[in-house]
This record gives sequence, C-alpha cells and structure tokens, in this order.
Amino acid sequence: MQTPTIAEASALIAARKLSPVELTQHCLDRATAHNATYHAFIAMTPERAMDDAKAAEARLMAGNSAGPLDGIPIAHKDIYGTRGIATTAHSKLLEGWVPTEDATTVTKLAEAGTVMLGKLATHEFAFGGPSFDLPWPPARNPWNPEYFTSGSSSGTGAAVGAGFILGGTGSDTGGSIRGPASLCGIAGIKPTYGLCSRAGILPLAFSLDHAGPMAWTVRDCAMLLQAMAGYDAKDCASANRPVPDFSAMLGRDVKGLRVGVPRHWHETDNPVEPAVQAGIDEAIAIWRAQGAEIIDVVLPSLQEYQAANFVILVTEAFTLHEPWMKTRFNDYGELLRDRMVFGALMAATDYAQALRRRRELCAITAERTKGIDILLTAGNAGEAPRIDSVPKWGNLAKPGFTNPFNLTGWPAMCVCSGFGPNGLPVAIQIAAKPFQEVTLFQAADAFEQATPYRKTRPTLSAVPSSIPKGLAEAGLNFPHSDLAGLADVVRDLGIGAKALKGDRPYYEEPAAALRLKPGA
Amino acid sequence: MKPNISREDFEALVRRAGLTLSPAQIDGLHPAWAHVEQMLARIRTHGRDRAAEPAHTFNPAEFFAGEI
Repeated sequence: MQTPTIAEASALIAARKLSPVELTQHCLDRATAHNATYHAFIAMTPERAMDDAKAAEARLMAGNSAGPLDGIPIAHKDIYGTRGIATTAHSKLLEGWVPTEDATTVTKLAEAGTVMLGKLATHEFAFGGPSFDLPWPPARNPWNPEYFTSGSSSGTGAAVGAGFILGGTGSDTGGSIRGPASLCGIAGIKPTYGLCSRAGILPLAFSLDHAGPMAWTVRDCAMLLQAMAGYDAKDCASANRPVPDFSAMLGRDVKGLRVGVPRHWHETDNPVEPAVQAGIDEAIAIWRAQGAEIIDVVLPSLQEYQAANFVILVTEAFTLHEPWMKTRFNDYGELLRDRMVFGALMAATDYAQALRRRRELCAITAERTKGIDILLTAGNAGEAPRIDSVPKWGNLAKPGFTNPFNLTGWPAMCVCSGFGPNGLPVAIQIAAKPFQEVTLFQAADAFEQATPYRKTRPTLSAVPSSIPKGLAEAGLNFPHSDLAGLADVVRDLGIGAKALKGDRPYYEEPAAALRLKPGA
Repeated sequence: MKPNISREDFEALVRRAGLTLSPAQIDGLHPAWAHVEQMLARIRTHGRDRAAEPAHTFNPAEFFAGEI
C-alpha cells in the first residue's frame, strides 16, 4: 500500500473502502520500519494513534463523521504543545517537559478527527540545525538520507515526504515551513500572519511566527488549514475574521489572475540553480496558457527583507531565551546558541529601526504589487545540500526567498516544481495578498495539476547501500534490522571525525603526552 | 569578510550582554558578526522620515473587548 493523499484517503474512508485503523497501522508500520534512517519522529505515540483511529472508525460506522479529516494520520512538530505528551523543541533544555494543555491548533485538528502518530523532529527551538549535538539526531531527507531536509520543520518535511503521515504541522518564522517543503518535495503553506493561532506553540519570535500545515499536495494543505485556521483570543495576534472555504477554487484554472514575478530576486539577489529556474519558467508557461497575465515587478532586494527579518527574529528570540542563554548556554546545541547570541549584541535602537524598516517594506511591497493577485518566486536556490556540509552561517551569507513573507505577513506556499541533477526536489514559491489564501491555493493547485511531480514518491532506503557492502567486505554478517541503527552510528561517527579534524596549530600537543609531574 | 569591530570590542559586547562564552566560542562568533554588521547597516541607513513608525504599534482598545 502506498501512502495516499489526504484527499484520497478521505474519499475512501467516507466510502467505507478504507478503514482509519488500517490506514493508521500502515503509517505506523512504515514509520517503525524507516524512522531509524530518517529520524522524522522524535517520539511515536502508537497507542494514542490506535485509540484515535478506533474512535474515528466508530464515528464513521455510527454515521457521525467529524468531517473530511476524520481518521487521517498526522503528527505535530515538537514545538506544538501536546497535553500529557512530552514536548521537547528537540532540545536538552526541555527534555521530558510534558505540557498540561494542547496548543489551540492541536485541539482543532483533534476535533476534526485526525489521528495523532507522535511528535516530529525540529531544528532546536525552531531555529538551529541541522545539529548533531542534541538528544535526538536531525531528520534526514526522504529522497536521500545523506541530504538535508532544511528546517526548522524538518521532521514534518521528512515524515510527509516519506509517507509516514499524510500531513503534519509546522511553524515558520523565516521560512521554516517552506524550506523543508521545498527540499523534501512536498507542499507547505505559511498562512497570513494571524490566521492560525500560535497559542500553546513554543515561540521563536512573536512578531514573525506563523503556524501552518504541510502535506503531499496543495489540496491536502487546504484541507488541513481549514481545520487549523480561526480566531483565538489566547493569541494576541490572532485575526478576528471569518474563515473562508480554502478549497473553493481548487481545480479551477487561473484565467484572469495577474501574476507578479520579481525576477531580480532569483536572478541577481540570490541566483538559483537551473532546475529551480526551470520550475519558475514552467509555472509562468502553465499559468499564461490558462489565461493569467504575467507581469514583471521590482521589489526591494531580498537582502533588505533579510536584514530586517534577521534583526527582529534574533532579538525577539534572545529576549525569550535570555535566562537560559545566561545560565545554560552550553546545554543548547552549537548552531542555535551561536546564532541566537547575536540577538544579545545589538542595540535596542537596532530593533526599533528594524521594526520601522519592516513597516516601510510592507508599504513598498503593497505599493509595487497593486493590481497583482499573486507573486511567483523560488522556494529555495537549489537542491538540498548534503546534511554534513550545511554551512553554519549560510542563512546569513545568502538571503532566503522566504523572508519577505514573514516580514510582510503575506501567505506563501512552496510546491514541488521538479528535480535537480542529484534527483532531489526543487520548488517554486507562490505568495498572495494577506488573507487571500483561496487565490493562493487556486494558483498552486493549477500548477500542481498541470505537472507530473506529485506522481513520484521517494523510494525509501532502510540503510545507505555502502553500509551492508562495507560490512560484507569485512566479513561481518549483521541482521538487517540492526543495520539502520548501525548506519546512524557510522554516520554520526563520520561527522564527529570530521569535526575533530578542525584546524589547530601544528605545534599543539596531543593529550597523550603524559606528564607525571607539573613542569616535568 | 572581516568584521569592523575588533575581537576585544566584540568580547566586550558579549560580556555586557551577560553571557559567559569561552575564548574559543568568541573566536568562532567574531568573524560571523561581519554578516550582522552588513544587515545593521541596511536598517540603520535609510534616511527615513522622523515620523516613520515601527511596525509594532498596537490598539489599546484590544484590552477592553466588549467594554469600549
């Protein structure tokens, strides 16, 4: 059985051709078999999942369905608070912390009938990663476990891509839903700021944090967002406005839509690889053929959005983490603590200036997109890098394509737009004006329906092929079930060995130079 | 790319923030501060109008839901 999409499973369940219990068991079996390779889950909750699935089945048999998500297996990024289930933020600092309440969105998805399979890997506190010095290993790319998922919603990207779950939750402060959606070959939407409650989700930066869904298709994202969206008095940024039918325009063409393309973003500000450019060109061709008008627009450079986004993000993040950063600095992973330190070193005026710049950028972006319905750009500059060669300061050296929409609050989503030379996915990013998710889904779905990229699922490998080959050459005969765990050890040893090779002076002595007496 | 701030001044910033970092950690962070300096220059030098407000202005009425 191949993991179905949410829409497919929903239709089959409604027609009583698929049991939520069978579907849940399929997902649990698949995750159990492969999680040791992909590390998408920090913790699985199989008993809870089967209880949820049986309850869904009972509702369906009684003719009392909770709706189109009833019986659909999902999981939550481990910054989403889950009552009675540990919520760790993938960090030693919260290891073993068990919330007493569900996040609002967790409750909403549960009320919609979803089945919860567990908690998903994240970059530590949704910020630093990939890290190899945390209590749990980083998630790995479902298309090749030697490659990076992006983050911070890394486990959700990996789990959806690998077919462990049909959908999941993510959060996005600078691109943390759209990055892993891009590199893991799935769909992910950062909704308009304020559309989904953040109450009960561990914050990173209050004025930039967004909650949203990730799934295999655009339609699936629309279905999940329908359950997640809505006003919540517990989130002071929550938008008190009606929630539209996000699926209303799915399946329609984009005739009459006006598509803005800020070409300088992906041509000069951060030039993309040819595979990404090809996806952008393909989207333009598809939409133009359907009757959309394509219009070049000139917006502030990506670097302008990046600067304001970074200063605001790290300052707000450090504000939240200051007590621990002062007392438990080395309990954080290296990547998080080194990035977050910068938030402590800026002047208060820098933060205020960044907020003023934010307002200016919001105004300029609105002014230069008058009459435009959606914007088209890249999701990422290229394919995923190898997980052991992600540049530590890469997020500073090159501006991301996702930052503009955290800063402006516009909804934006990434969808798979093909594959690069390494066989890994690439993505386009589509954005719409605030609270125009219906139009955003319409355009993204039109692209998805016109392209073949949703027909290809990754082929999962239990272990890298080099491991059993090497063991066989060494005359060792390991049971296959042990190989995934062994592969992790080998990988992490390799990364550790690489770190040990760091630059040090030629005259530095090894610790083996034993001295019996000081000064001897 | 080298930061404009000296390593000693950078260390002073770290200490002022109340953080306890090892010399090796400071050595590792100091060069990366060059990226941050570039970003700070972007947000500081826009010659914006004195009346240009930040994006976090708020509505005082929100604390009185249903009352006013």
